[in-house]
Amino acid sequence: MAHQDPIARLVSQLARLPGIGEKTANRLAFHIIKEPAAFAQELSEALLGVKERIGLCTTCCNLTETDPCWICQSEKRDSSVICVVEGTPDLMAIERTGEFMGRYHVLHGVLRPLEGVGPDEIRVRELVQRLSKPEQGVREVIVATNPNTDGETTALYIARLLRPFEVKVTRIASGIPIGGDLEYTDRVTLGRALLGRREI
Amino acid sequence: MQLDHLHIEHFRNLSRVELTPGPRFNVLTGPNGQGKTNLLEAIYTLGSVKSLRAQRNAELIQWEQERALIEGEISREAHRRQARIEIGATGKRVVLNGTLVRSIQDYFGTLSAVVFSPDDLGMLKGGPSERRRFLDRAVFNTRAGYLADVQAYESVLRQRNAVLKSPSPSAGLLEVYDEQLADYGASITQRRLEYLRDFFPIFRRAFRGIFTLEGEVEASESAQIAETLALGYGASWWSPSPVSVSGELEVPSLEALRTGLGGALRRGAREDMRRGTTCSGPHRDDLHLAFLEREVRSFASQGQLRAIVLAMKIAEIQVLTERLRFTPVLLLDDVSSELDRDRNRLLFELLKRHPGQVFITTTHRDFIQLEGEDVRSWSVRQGALEPR
Ligand SMILES: Nc1ncnc2c1ncn2[C@@H]1O[C@H](COP(=O)(O)OP(=O)(O)OP(=O)(O)O)[C@@H](O)[C@H]1O
Ligand SMILES: [Mg+2]
Ligand SMILES: [Zn+2]
Repeated sequence: MAHQDPIARLVSQLARLPGIGEKTANRLAFHIIKEPAAFAQELSEALLGVKERIGLCTTCCNLTETDPCWICQSEKRDSSVICVVEGTPDLMAIERTGEFMGRYHVLHGVLRPLEGVGPDEIRVRELVQRLSKPEQGVREVIVATNPNTDGETTALYIARLLRPFEVKVTRIASGIPIGGDLEYTDRVTLGRALLGRREI
Repeated sequence: MQLDHLHIEHFRNLSRVELTPGPRFNVLTGPNGQGKTNLLEAIYTLGSVKSLRAQRNAELIQWEQERALIEGEISREAHRRQARIEIGATGKRVVLNGTLVRSIQDYFGTLSAVVFSPDDLGMLKGGPSERRRFLDRAVFNTRAGYLADVQAYESVLRQRNAVLKSPSPSAGLLEVYDEQLADYGASITQRRLEYLRDFFPIFRRAFRGIFTLEGEVEASESAQIAETLALGYGASWWSPSPVSVSGELEVPSLEALRTGLGGALRRGAREDMRRGTTCSGPHRDDLHLAFLEREVRSFASQGQLRAIVLAMKIAEIQVLTERLRFTPVLLLDDVSSELDRDRNRLLFELLKRHPGQVFITTTHRDFIQLEGEDVRSWSVRQGALEPR
């Protein structure tokens, strides 16, 4: 590694990012090289800062700088409803709709055994633990995983795990294009989907 | 329905194609490996978005290129449509009349095409997957939601098989996959059965017509033979199996199919784990065909089998024509080279009676017994087309 050409090293690291191919990685690398040294400095500090300062909320598993996260800390939130999402970007998408005033649980993925992602690889156990504390007073869990087959699998699996608890488990109603990413769904559709949810 | 203009860029070995087909017969001639099938595949892809042969989008893009483009002008009576499919390594983008298509359902029926290739001719002799492919393509053309169901089913199936192969399969997760497979599988099966119910009487008529045309038997006799024709849908997870579609078929309810498949999956879980794969479901089902009380694949001659496939394809086109109320585009890939003289004559008899647009590929122009002003011809060399 130590002897690897520094440009090649940067390109191969950038190419590991999702959605970035060899070509784009090259373009980004040469852009960084062209910019003044201060830019690279700032970028690398930002990268390290994210890893040092961002962690998971011990309550909801959201990415956060403080623990618990700002949503778990908020007094205005309705603790009796938990909305389960695949990732923090989905949480942010729902927050932008302004329709939801409950709390969240972030899974950091969906079940995809084919890619080695089973129940132990996503944060479902944390959700079960959270519900096993009756003092939390959770009455409803809304599963807002994406409306594709893997999102559906994950929702059904969660519903099964939560069966022993006295909570209502609902699935975000469709209204979102099949296979569509929640992150890119327009606010109206998403808002409507949240209002018309069904029990699973 | 007809394709009035076709523009292709970097699709397989077709670097750039500009084609203005005629409303009837379009003959594409060229030696092996020049791009004839690729051209038909491009037309099929424009119609169905799903490709004919490729498993991955990347295979469809010309080597060293980033994306492929297929663009067509399609007319149906007075309607004209502009369809455009861009294929990148990670996905396809579909644009209809300048608007991005979000759901495949909205694109459905833009260009309905039926393919007929040497693979189909071997369908009755080959394995079940070839008969399922015939059935799936036929159903897909008539039902907007079918492709989505099949893709969802296949995706769930792959995940379930991965769980089965893992060292300690989670029972809870397997049950979830069973539930999903039963849901999608019931819908797929119901649509297949509904299709076969509508298909059978038309198939029987085509079968009788072909046996008469074949000149082997008298018309009255072929009518009698046709009466003994029996088609069944074999599903190991359903009872009775095969489901006869020859009589008055009462298609089972979704609920019944779901319960049936769900139960079979549950009972088969242990065996599935041992084998590392899912043994029951529509992905394993099959078609059974018999006449004179005998299964065709074990007694019919090679020539008869091909004539029967011909009748199946004709019936497929007729079912589709009735359903859509216009004629689909026919794509015939090198079928003539696989048929003897008499059956070729039969094929062209039938084609001349088919009113719509036809694309035919061949290695030898004289295989194609079509002449006259409604025939246009091109030669295909190294991915390029030239009028001839
Ligand atoms: N992605 C691709 N990029 C470039 N060329 C490709 C690609 N995929 C396939 N080919 C080439 O296309 C050619 C095959 O074309 P095609 O299957 O259309 O032949 P054909 O004219 O139908 O031949 P035959 O008469 O043997 O059926 C092969 O030479 C193959 O190498
Ligand atoms: Mg070919
Ligand atoms: Zn939190």
